[in-house]
Amino acid sequence: MKLDSKIPAGPLAEKWTNYKASQKLVNPANKRKLDIIVVGTGLAGASAAASLGAMGFNVDIFCIQDSPRRAHSIAAQGGINAAKNYQNDGDSVERLFRDTIKGGDYRAREANVYRLAEVSGAIIDQCVAQGVPFARDYGGLLDNRSFGGAQVSRTFYAKGQTGQQLLLGAYGALSREIARGTVKLHTRCEMMDLVVVEGRARGIIVRNLVTGDLERYAAHAVVLATGGYGNLYYLSTNAMNSNGSAAWVCHRKGAAFANPCYVQIHPTCIPVHGDYQSKLTLMSESLRNDGRIWVPKKKEDAEAIRAGKLKPTEIPEENRDYYLERRYPAFGNLVPRDVASRAAKERCDAGYGVGTGFAVYLDFADAIQRLGKDVVEQKYGNLFQMYQKITDENPYETPMMIYPAIHYTMGGLWVDYELQTTIPGLFAAGEANFSDHGANRLGASALMQGLADGYFVLPYTMQNYLADQIYVGKISATSPEFDKAEVAVRERLNKLVTIGGDKTVDHFHKALGKIMWEYCGMARNTESLTKAKKLVSQLENEFWKKVFIPGTANEFNPELEKAYRLEDYFELAQLVIDDAMHREESCGGHFRTEHQTQDGETLRDDERFMYVAAWEYQGHGHPETMEKEPLVYEHIQIAKRNYK
Amino acid sequence: MKFTLHIWRQENARAKGHFETYPLEGISPECSFLEMLDILNEQLINDRIAHPVCFDNDCREGICGMCGLYINGRPHGNDDGITTCQLHMRKFHDGDDIWIEPWRAKPFPVIRDLVVDRSAFDKIIQAGGYISTTTGGVPDANTIPIPKHKADMAMDAASCIGCGACVAACKNASAMLFVGAKVSHLALLPQGKIEAADRVHKMVCKMDELGFGSCTNTYACEAECPKLIKRQNISRLNRQWIGALFGRDRK
Amino acid sequence: MNLPKIHSISKKILVGALGAFLSFFLLFHASANLLILRHDGGEWYNAFCHFMGTYIIVKVMEIGLLAALLLHVVLAIWLAVTNKMARPKGYHKPQRSKTHTGSKLQVWTGILIFACLIMHFTDFYFVKIGLVKGKYLVKTEDIVALKVTQPDAFNYAEQQCEYSAKENWLTNFDKEDKAVLEAAGLEVEPDFYHQAREKFKILHIVIAYLVFFTVVWFHLRHGFAAVFQTFGLYNYKYGKAIEVLGQIYTWVVCLMFAVVVIGVYFGL
Repeated sequence: MKLDSKIPAGPLAEKWTNYKASQKLVNPANKRKLDIIVVGTGLAGASAAASLGAMGFNVDIFCIQDSPRRAHSIAAQGGINAAKNYQNDGDSVERLFRDTIKGGDYRAREANVYRLAEVSGAIIDQCVAQGVPFARDYGGLLDNRSFGGAQVSRTFYAKGQTGQQLLLGAYGALSREIARGTVKLHTRCEMMDLVVVEGRARGIIVRNLVTGDLERYAAHAVVLATGGYGNLYYLSTNAMNSNGSAAWVCHRKGAAFANPCYVQIHPTCIPVHGDYQSKLTLMSESLRNDGRIWVPKKKEDAEAIRAGKLKPTEIPEENRDYYLERRYPAFGNLVPRDVASRAAKERCDAGYGVGTGFAVYLDFADAIQRLGKDVVEQKYGNLFQMYQKITDENPYETPMMIYPAIHYTMGGLWVDYELQTTIPGLFAAGEANFSDHGANRLGASALMQGLADGYFVLPYTMQNYLADQIYVGKISATSPEFDKAEVAVRERLNKLVTIGGDKTVDHFHKALGKIMWEYCGMARNTESLTKAKKLVSQLENEFWKKVFIPGTANEFNPELEKAYRLEDYFELAQLVIDDAMHREESCGGHFRTEHQTQDGETLRDDERFMYVAAWEYQGHGHPETMEKEPLVYEHIQIAKRNYK
Repeated sequence: MKFTLHIWRQENARAKGHFETYPLEGISPECSFLEMLDILNEQLINDRIAHPVCFDNDCREGICGMCGLYINGRPHGNDDGITTCQLHMRKFHDGDDIWIEPWRAKPFPVIRDLVVDRSAFDKIIQAGGYISTTTGGVPDANTIPIPKHKADMAMDAASCIGCGACVAACKNASAMLFVGAKVSHLALLPQGKIEAADRVHKMVCKMDELGFGSCTNTYACEAECPKLIKRQNISRLNRQWIGALFGRDRK
Repeated sequence: MNLPKIHSISKKILVGALGAFLSFFLLFHASANLLILRHDGGEWYNAFCHFMGTYIIVKVMEIGLLAALLLHVVLAIWLAVTNKMARPKGYHKPQRSKTHTGSKLQVWTGILIFACLIMHFTDFYFVKIGLVKGKYLVKTEDIVALKVTQPDAFNYAEQQCEYSAKENWLTNFDKEDKAVLEAAGLEVEPDFYHQAREKFKILHIVIAYLVFFTVVWFHLRHGFAAVFQTFGLYNYKYGKAIEVLGQIYTWVVCLMFAVVVIGVYFGL
């Protein structure tokens, strides 16, 4: 495998312009003769399909849910960044680019990030034209708020439902193309395999989730926009059906997987409350603007609270430890996500946790006193209500309890500047690719990246690939490669339903999640990773002997769906561990306890690790091989990431 | 806590279907309704009692619109402004009988057990629930000023998650709140006004064609909407419809 | 057969418009009824009825009113049937959502109103068109004259109808009687004043009418606000006001009807 990132020549600010000026195009009459498959209907998938369909390509789009609008992009709360400089506070493409590179701890590709910043403004224009109801000022113009990791207000938002509104905008554009007949929608269909013919991605095998039938779809190119693999950890802020399988089957077919160990942990989630828990709910980052995070100063107080003998409101001010304010006086409660998460873990591990022992307080008493209950209610009312519905506690009276949780995966399929993976004709967009966030993603950047890829990057770069594909003619779905892929999928499913053990899929998924969270979560070291690797192998062996999947492969069978996704997670987990093991430095979301500063901050090793680790699959049970894509910073000055 | 569950079981779209009763014990009041069903399924699988109960769910934080169960006579259960996944067992009494049914409406056929096919909603949106734009070539975002109160009202209408509780709650299985919310969202914005007349016409025609009932102003939809979308949006839909009767005049 | 397609919302708007027309008529009807409470021997009320029964525009409108009533009923039932079809399989558990009960009752109160209308028509409207026997007003001097000029006709009237010598009126007419007497040159028209005063002295009729008004109250109370909603006039700003206005309108109309019936019963 040879990695060619295909970064265009020229000065950074002109790369994208140059690329567009010299790329190959497909003439309008030929576009309808070219078929494109898009998997996933989130921000990246829906926007790509809508754009490509509108251009005249023949698009098939697939999602596992009952409607394209269910994709988990819908759950994004905070906002979307764009370098519009509407607030006249000094924002620019250059500044958004710098903030994103720094936020990613200098582990992202310069040219991609610059392009992202460059097209960010057009995304807002596009969304407004689609009728996305962004928040506005009294004068009728767009409003902005600020987010972590930036000194300007560049975040556009629609209440606490920005992701929903952006997705519905893209869904509307997609629906229009479906009505016009340029895009064909396939719901409740899961991609089971990628079909590669003569080295190029030429189609997919899907499972109709209602009937269990396997279906074949052939195309000139395939776009993968299937999101991240956060559910590897079982408990995460991801949706229940979010999974990494589509990306993983592509990886098995030869697409390199980059930086799998970069996983983002969000500090403000509602803590775990029981074994039966299925997911964690995120409380918006904006709460940290006015809430103060603390734990008891005395261990005995923490113990009394855990035993239910003491209430947090009974602890006097001098016995509270506002540990973020103590450790990071400059940024206080507003340190970046990875820093806040690690600090909470540190306190809880030291025995100061409250609730079940894995929670800290987020207290609004000061804010209520300072601003009044009304103001606090206006700012955070819906979040407080959500918290109360879930926990049955009134955050106006007693502090909220929060704990970090898996939120986003920066790692993903390796892609070049054109968002093409190492398999020609297979493109990856949005969270599914390893993309633009380096080792840590800034708040409000995921939505920006998904839409940038779908609206403004793929429609250009895919044409460059498709230009000569017009000579190939219609791709047949009856070739031996399709036969082989379908048979393999069928065998795989039959193998799963015939195991006949006595444990549920969830049992194993929970166990896998626990191992990963415990030993490959917020903090990792050689010892924990070695242990994790062993435990995952054991668990996988047990899975193949003891799992029981009711029903057959030929019916609507959610247990079977969970099973084959989990099967992929076992392999993916090994890769995450391997990647975490090999990266002997701490950067962004990847924290190796061996590599930290004296006060417990991340310690990068730019000498040895300033590269993208792209892994190549070598067959089940075989260690993967790694190829390095060096990160060359020509434009930006590399600095230490300091939030003290 | 202890419950007796009465759950609609139906193997596939063609099967007849019936209620099945399952006792369930040891449920924490902190448990969410869907987690309670997870526990039931775990038991059904472990004890090989029956095929686990199928129910749609995804984000489990009340935004994707995937979950939707008719619980003891109320869509999304006995609480206001929430989806099924946000319902917690503390809202029930120990020893309660809980009846769980799928959404019932002609355009929402049952797929399996509690899972229904809501693609009818997608078809309504495809009929015209969007502003026709192609990527690129749009004006700068701030060249379209919108009064704040209008943008806020549009946002309220746009917060619909398409779960179908309005249809499930309506005695006529009417989709007027769903359609009204989308029509309102777009009609309130200057960008959406251009196609407003055609949009409302196409969406209502599609809604009728798919077999949804009509509104008789019962407002069960408003009472059960997890996003608290107001009936004023239905009123606006009617207004738009009347406008469209003349506004669609063509040469 | 190719029926013109009426979309669901248009159908609703039609039902609403017809309903609005009918409820305006109710206000008009109720206001006029207050004249019955005047102890003038029916002078004003019957004069009003005379106007209503003879003026050509009113007569045209009367046909319109009946047509509106019928169309309102037909469309509403059509809607109700298609609405039932939208949920072929119902729920096991009855609905427990917080809703406007008026709407759920609307079809049933409508059907009840229709039944009550038959009673009401039998008491009054059918008298006018001669389907049912009832009180008619004939000028005293005409009867006296008739006695002299056409004794046959007078005798017929005395036998077939009831003749009150004291007040010189004829009652209990039917169509045939009316025709005979009109042929004799007599000017005959229904005497709703006395008709009402006599009917509303009977307790079970009073109770029946009060039930009728209660049903109308239910129907109107929901209908009024619903019409505004259906016409798209219900909004954030005036929604509450419209609801209050609807309540007032409903109470006023129904109370006016009830006051007359109760008033007559207690000899007001």
